[in-house]
Amino acid sequence: MMLLRLMSWPYIRTHVLRTLLTVAGIVLGVAVFVGMHTANQSVLLAFNQTVDRIAGKTQLQVSAGETGFNEEVLETVQASPSVGIAVPAIEAVVDSGIVGQGNLLVLGTDMTGDRGLRDYDLEAGDEAVIDDPLVFLAQPDSLIVTREFADRNHIVVDSQIKLGTVLGDRTFTVRGIMAASGLASAFGGNIAIMDIYAAQRMFGRGRTFDRIDVAVREGVEVATAQAELRTQLGPGFQVDPPSGRGRQFEAMTAAYSMMVNISSLFALFIGMFIIYNSFSIAVTQRRSEIGILRALGATRAQIRWLFLGESAVTGLVGSLAGVLFGLLIARGIAASIGDLMSGVYGVAQRAEEVSTSPWLLGASLVIGVLTSVVAALIPARQAARVDPVHALQKGRHQVLTERESRLRASVAGLLALLAVACIAAGGSRITFYLGYVITIVVALLLGPILSLALARALRPLLRLVRPVEGALAADSLIQSPRRTSASVAAVMLSLALVVAFAGMARASYNSIIDWMETALNPDLFVMPSQDVVIRTLRFPEDMGAEIATVPGVRRVQMVRDARIVFRQTPVMVVATDVLSLSETAQRPPVQGRVDTMYRETAVGRGLMVSDNLAQLQRLSLGETLEIDAPHGTIRLPIVGIVIDYSDQQGTILMERALFKKYWHDDSVNAFRVYLDPSAQVPEVRQQILQRYAGKRQVFVLTNAELKAYILKVTDQWFGLTSVQIAVAVLVAILGIVNTLTVSITDRRRELGVLQAVGARHRQIRGTIWMEALSIGALGLLLGGALGAVNLYFILQIVQHDIAGMRLSYQFPFTTLLALVPTILGAAFIAALWPAESAVRGSLVEALEYE
Amino acid sequence: MSRAALVGLAMLVSLGGSVIAADEARAIVAEAQRRTDATSQSYEGLLQVFDGKGKVSDKRWTLQRQGAHGQSKMVLRFSLPAEVKGVALLVVNHPDRASDQWMWTPAVERDRRIALQDRSTRFFGTDFSFEDLEERDVDQYDYVLQGDDAVDGAMCWKIQSVPKQSKSSQYSRSLVWIRKDNYVVARIDSFSKGEPVRRLTYTNITNVQGIWTARTLDMTDLRRGSRTRLTLDKLQYGAPMKDEDFTLQAIRRP
Repeated sequence: MMLLRLMSWPYIRTHVLRTLLTVAGIVLGVAVFVGMHTANQSVLLAFNQTVDRIAGKTQLQVSAGETGFNEEVLETVQASPSVGIAVPAIEAVVDSGIVGQGNLLVLGTDMTGDRGLRDYDLEAGDEAVIDDPLVFLAQPDSLIVTREFADRNHIVVDSQIKLGTVLGDRTFTVRGIMAASGLASAFGGNIAIMDIYAAQRMFGRGRTFDRIDVAVREGVEVATAQAELRTQLGPGFQVDPPSGRGRQFEAMTAAYSMMVNISSLFALFIGMFIIYNSFSIAVTQRRSEIGILRALGATRAQIRWLFLGESAVTGLVGSLAGVLFGLLIARGIAASIGDLMSGVYGVAQRAEEVSTSPWLLGASLVIGVLTSVVAALIPARQAARVDPVHALQKGRHQVLTERESRLRASVAGLLALLAVACIAAGGSRITFYLGYVITIVVALLLGPILSLALARALRPLLRLVRPVEGALAADSLIQSPRRTSASVAAVMLSLALVVAFAGMARASYNSIIDWMETALNPDLFVMPSQDVVIRTLRFPEDMGAEIATVPGVRRVQMVRDARIVFRQTPVMVVATDVLSLSETAQRPPVQGRVDTMYRETAVGRGLMVSDNLAQLQRLSLGETLEIDAPHGTIRLPIVGIVIDYSDQQGTILMERALFKKYWHDDSVNAFRVYLDPSAQVPEVRQQILQRYAGKRQVFVLTNAELKAYILKVTDQWFGLTSVQIAVAVLVAILGIVNTLTVSITDRRRELGVLQAVGARHRQIRGTIWMEALSIGALGLLLGGALGAVNLYFILQIVQHDIAGMRLSYQFPFTTLLALVPTILGAAFIAALWPAESAVRGSLVEALEYE
Repeated sequence: MSRAALVGLAMLVSLGGSVIAADEARAIVAEAQRRTDATSQSYEGLLQVFDGKGKVSDKRWTLQRQGAHGQSKMVLRFSLPAEVKGVALLVVNHPDRASDQWMWTPAVERDRRIALQDRSTRFFGTDFSFEDLEERDVDQYDYVLQGDDAVDGAMCWKIQSVPKQSKSSQYSRSLVWIRKDNYVVARIDSFSKGEPVRRLTYTNITNVQGIWTARTLDMTDLRRGSRTRLTLDKLQYGAPMKDEDFTLQAIRRP
């Protein structure tokens, strides 16, 4: 502690900027980690809170994925001896129609029994009316809204609000206002209560319920009731506590969480290099001090602990600042994730507040400090080895000896072989990830050797550009390979991440566009909501025949898609007229025979699955799938595997008749409409709209509009990737700024000598600028190379662990080209201040430096 | 006589007394039930809900009942206020178990079954519960005569009734006062978990077609402090009614 106070504190005070830049490495890493995880956690918590608040005293929920089930199931549940209260529910997300208020989550429930489960806590209006379920039930326009929503929109009891329903815009009367607590605080207060049978009509549910909320009879164990209901209802139903929905949400967002983890780890890894570099240079600068301490009797261990302690303090300060900064950015990220979840997954939730756990914050601090300490291990060891006699022999320690180079190359070679073996072995994901980590280690081991080699290769070029400055800059890089490689490594890692993410985004984007072009080829799409992913509004089947009679319409395909639980994972079932689909939008199979797979599926003798589902669930052609539905278990073989991006967790394509048989559900989510070649798209669209004007809420999207929508959602998804890329670029820039600043400061004496022997300011500036640009260039070269390898790994992870997407390898040259001016520009800007500082500082001080 | 023999005799007398009290109580309830037997009943009811602040809200309905007590079916149709007009309730009573109840809401054209578990909830904002609409049948309860008591100056038998297990009631027990002069129920106090929760008083008792009937029923929710009065008008017994008017299809008709 004494050494820390006497040695470290004065050093930090005199090198504030450098300390700040060093700390910034950890700040950024920890901030990304905390920000991303907190945002993710907040969104999940908001979802769970919404589920909990809506669930009220519900102990079990009976559901059948998203598909819902027939009303009769209610009587079975209510008749169960272990059930105390059983109340049906429907949830629908509708456009509130109020500017700036977004969507409203409408909970349809049966008020006669529901008040045993949920406390509506009605606070305003005529109690005789709002507390009277009869009026509420008798009037299908009855709505109860929350105090928060009412206040925001100046709503009082008996106010009328317009909501979009499948029957078109309908006016509802507010018959009650819930106090702002419990249920009313779910979904950020944007929740409304409606009678369940009115909700069935308004949202096109026929005679089905989404779920049944159950409170078990007094004295009965929840597990007992759960087992009993499962036995009574069969495997097609899920009987789980409300928290089960949270787990499904987590499963859906697993892909996103995985990306967050990868980004966070990279950010911390890069932060580690920044710290390593800073400490290496600090050790260099303080060699004389270390020498004096050693001469005065300080042991090697004390010196080592001094630097490790200093790094721990740096890590702690950086981590604390990172935690604060992370919490600060979490709100913005949470809003973005919230939009993403609604847009991509159609899951309604709002993260109103940022919530984090002490565990996460504690873990962040530990990770930050550990990263810092690990990064300082090598510099601390170097410091401990300082020989008092050689303490003033500047620069020698930065040299990479021939022996060390050989050792590094040998170890890297062996590890590279091991990495290849791990990847070639296949099978286990653990060996794959081990191979990935080893590959990164190989790159880091080879970093100094390659930096040195590249710097040597660059020397003639630099000399050609500016003979004096170029030679000085190149020599500086060559003479200090450790310092150079640390700077380059930070940039290299950042750029490797950028290249991989950009390549993955590009490949995904191209793949989605390719799928869209062939699979989404109808001229028009008729939908009950503008929001394509909202499946809570549905059409009746007979609308298909009606649309078919519209002049100009050649073919109508009915599509029912719904998320079901398959092998404990939510996946999408797409039920449609398969034969018709094969005639209009046949997809080349990844596996299977194109001439038979559609036919077999159409006659109900097989199922087709998307490639991403096959990848994620390890399914193969011919394998028999068992799908539990409310009215039996479907056991059919996989007859074809095709590329389909309808859902991130994968899709199962089946004939519509099969779906109707096993789900007793003939509703439709969308009609795919093909027109006669001579028909005009705008005219037919108008005719369809006119046909249902005032009767149904119908949105008719043209092919281009639907594609634009999907691209918008895709952009939204990759928007987060862009944020990650931006963070990686920022880290790269920070790495350059940091390393250059400390590097130039480190060379103040050398630069002072140059000035003393007659070097001009212009030449000094030029040297520093060229050195900075060289580091940027080396980082770009090595980052591009490592990025090419990293992209392979990321594509493999996406295929096998995240989205099941089989993406083709496309190196993102344009991104790399765009990075050239960015990184070189950042390097140049980063060099401006150190260069000015070098030429404007006192020559005497510079010569006295070290 | 030894002390033990004395105790034994006392117990025998006491037990025998209980059995006699139970038999007598059941006989009184059975007689009260017999006296109200009719092939049918109909009336127009005025429901007035008095909330804790003294505010009154009115609802009107017409009721038709075929049969009596545990063998009866009942259709109740709201006529006022306008927003609840046409809402109907079908109650099918059973002698040995709880009734079946369905509600029809014309605006959504849907009937819904009132689940057994929901019978304890308030009947559409009144102080009656859905269970209170059921016709009590003598065989659904066990009785104990608790002595005599006066209600509004009329001497009554005070009888405790405890629902049999098959009845599935929200109430753990009830105290029923039956007038000695005409066997009309004068008051029922219902208890849940030992606490009195509702009080139903019968007044304005008149003889209609030979059946003594209370024309005013006041139900007080003892926990909420609110009260609902049901006034019977155009009361009629024995009018011919058809079976098909007491079905789900029938209540769906306007």
